[in-house]
Amino acid sequence: MEKTYRIGTPEMQEYLKKYYYIPHGLGFVEPGVTAADAKEYVAFNIAKSMYQTHPEVFNLKYVSKQVGIPEKEVAERITKMYRNHYMMLVANSSVNVYGWGLYYWVVKLKKDATPAQRKELSDWFQNNDQICTGYAMEAGGEFDFFNGNHMRNMDNLVFGVLDKFRFRDYIEYVHIVPVRRLIRESHVNQFDALKDYRHYFWSDEQKKNVLKFQKKMDATDFAIIDALNNTPSIGDTFDYKVLGELSGLDPAVMKKDLCMVVDKDKCRMPLIYFNYRALGLKMHFFLVSFFQNTPTWRSEQIADELAENPAFENIFDFCDAHHNMILSAYEDITDLDALRKDILKYGEVAEVLEATSARQFRRWTNRLDYEDGWYEEAIFTDDLLQDHSTESPVICPNCKDPEWNDVTDKKEAK
Amino acid sequence: MKITEARPYVVKNLKYALNPSSIAVVGASRYPNKVGNAVIRELQKWGYQGAIYPVNPRADKVEGLKAYHRLQDIKKPVDLVFLAVPAHIVNAIMHDCVAIKAKVAVIATSAFKEIGRGDLQDLITQYCRDHELPLIGPNLVGLGTPYAHFNCGFIPYLPVPGTVAMISQSGANLLAALGTSQENHFGMSFFVGLGNKADVDFSEFIEYGEQDPHTKCISVYSEGLDSPEAFLKSCKKVTKPVVVIKVGGSKIGNKAAFAHTASENPESDAYYDKVIKDAGAYRATTWQEFLDVSLALGLQPPMMGDNIVMITNGGGAGLLSCDHFERRGLPMHELKEISPLLTQRMRAYMPMFGSPLNPVDISGTATPIAYKGAFQQAYRDPNVDAVLGAICPTAITDVAAVAQAAIDVHESCKKLHKPFVMICQGGGECHDAIMRLRDNGIPAYATAEQAVNAMVALRQYGKKVAKK
Repeated sequence: MEKTYRIGTPEMQEYLKKYYYIPHGLGFVEPGVTAADAKEYVAFNIAKSMYQTHPEVFNLKYVSKQVGIPEKEVAERITKMYRNHYMMLVANSSVNVYGWGLYYWVVKLKKDATPAQRKELSDWFQNNDQICTGYAMEAGGEFDFFNGNHMRNMDNLVFGVLDKFRFRDYIEYVHIVPVRRLIRESHVNQFDALKDYRHYFWSDEQKKNVLKFQKKMDATDFAIIDALNNTPSIGDTFDYKVLGELSGLDPAVMKKDLCMVVDKDKCRMPLIYFNYRALGLKMHFFLVSFFQNTPTWRSEQIADELAENPAFENIFDFCDAHHNMILSAYEDITDLDALRKDILKYGEVAEVLEATSARQFRRWTNRLDYEDGWYEEAIFTDDLLQDHSTESPVICPNCKDPEWNDVTDKKEAK
Repeated sequence: MKITEARPYVVKNLKYALNPSSIAVVGASRYPNKVGNAVIRELQKWGYQGAIYPVNPRADKVEGLKAYHRLQDIKKPVDLVFLAVPAHIVNAIMHDCVAIKAKVAVIATSAFKEIGRGDLQDLITQYCRDHELPLIGPNLVGLGTPYAHFNCGFIPYLPVPGTVAMISQSGANLLAALGTSQENHFGMSFFVGLGNKADVDFSEFIEYGEQDPHTKCISVYSEGLDSPEAFLKSCKKVTKPVVVIKVGGSKIGNKAAFAHTASENPESDAYYDKVIKDAGAYRATTWQEFLDVSLALGLQPPMMGDNIVMITNGGGAGLLSCDHFERRGLPMHELKEISPLLTQRMRAYMPMFGSPLNPVDISGTATPIAYKGAFQQAYRDPNVDAVLGAICPTAITDVAAVAQAAIDVHESCKKLHKPFVMICQGGGECHDAIMRLRDNGIPAYATAEQAVNAMVALRQYGKKVAKK
């Protein structure tokens, strides 16, 4: 029989076995990837649709045992955390192997950019459904935005998104930083981590300090999220019997399928997002550039070594960019000096730019702006099969406000 | 799932599907490009007067309305629950529907039997049947009625008010019919997409159509007649005409029907043809015929005999009609055979080169006065069972005035209960005349064949009425 080279089988490409999908090009499709609405992924979709009113979709028994409180209390706390916007059930996908590139980009405004201009840009990013996530560095720093898209190719990013604002007078630069390895996001090791796939990290220092910093969530609340994110298998995260009762589908089949997608094929990863912003925490970013003569293996080695530190909530490794990686940690509850030293101890580091964010726009396409009533509205403009280079108007350097409004507010913003 | 006859509790509750006093939309999104949001906006836009309850576990407000996290949070009676949620949570929502004692549920969601989830569809259907909750769908586009300003679904427009009940398994064809309604003044009493029709069947909507005071013709687009017994019984039971277009008879069409609405056609097309015939329904073979015939049956009384008189100012339209009548098994008769005296009387409305044969050619010089007189004479003659008029726009024909003459005669002769159909072959002025005629209750068409098909259907309906 002809080989299919399907992921998760011995026929899978040899190079995938160490870093799973690394090294790879951007935007290619692997045989065996699972669509977001595929039947193999239905268990997550039931939970995602119902957990707001049915916390019992989670494996309350498991969490109860891990945390040491009754199942009823686990359920009540989950509901409370959801309603207060502290948590959200989300999922990430290894978008690179679905045929997209994962393109982040860093925006730096000129020093004389006004608060109104900054807000104008923030609002546009917030409402732009092509942007799957992003951070506004409103708390200050050496750059101003860090946003991401998963798009079919870089032309679509440039024409479809960046060209619509990057020539404005108050923009100093926009640097595209394509993601080579997605190592950690929102505390959880992702598809390209060298080890501890799906592991949820907090440093001991952070665990202690966060309880002092705020009173909205207590140690038990944090322990619930920890338990759900650190299940040995995705098969332990949900109560498949409940999912079966709600949907009418076979619990055993759903469980087997989801384990295949998440644990074995590593295509998609459900997890609980901790919404730091609702607790008043700020995220501090280190945008790291290596000297250009740093070999790839060394760059990856450094990334893997830094990933040993659980204090970093996000770690992205870039390619073909001005910058090599970005790492972040909570400003309010972390010893940032120690982290800075940890990064600067490497002689390969040429530059570290730092900035602090108090606002995340989205989390894996789910809107986070609860103040406007949009919490968890999940929207993404499917970029597949589209060619933005033929349809997207470019904002010229001399364009003034009316054109900006025409192109962005009317066509792109909601 | 199969039924053997229309269930009384379903037929009784369908009034809540088409004239509900309150609607809960489950899956009411905050985003305008999502189906659940469109449902709310269309309800508001078209002026629905009942209560609208958006249900969204993530939102507190949708389109300015208070949103509820669960159906159980509404705490007020809900007639209709419209589901615009993914297939995998439909089962849970149906349990909620039963819990709040909803009167009827409409499931727009796809991805059931048509993609191999027959077991799930059956499980939900059986649950609804066990609790006597009529389920419309799944896999449909929506439903509504212009009389209640009720447009419930992701449908961009309401039809103009009229007399045709449009019951369609296909959402696309339903939308096409609705678009036709607006564009071509094709009036509807109500419309409903049935999709996979897991529970509520054609037969139940046919019986509801019989009860609906606005409905005069019940039109059905079917991709699968999986409860033929029930269909047969209901069609025989109702007095109103039923028009059916049944597709999926070709080899690949059979498979396409399953992929679309999970419709199964285990029997040959000849079998379904016989079922429809035995039911006394009219089977259309093309979409255009389906619409044309429905329009006529919705506007005109049954034709109780074969004596049709055609009055035209163009011989061509007459000949096209003669041949098509004969092809359709309803040949025209010479006027002298129908009514010798009428032949004489018709002479008064035509020049010497006109022809009183039948078609009665009152010539290209015919004035509105001549048309009016000829129409009246034909209409009032006791031997005439139906009148077919035709306008050919010559340089001296006042098409609008002729149309008005037809409208006047039709209005004055309504009590005679004879069908009156018009052909207006030509350009813009004829299109305008067609619209005006339709607005005044006269089925009017751009071609002779369409009009002939309409009259054939009226005659078939007349035979059914006579039998009863």
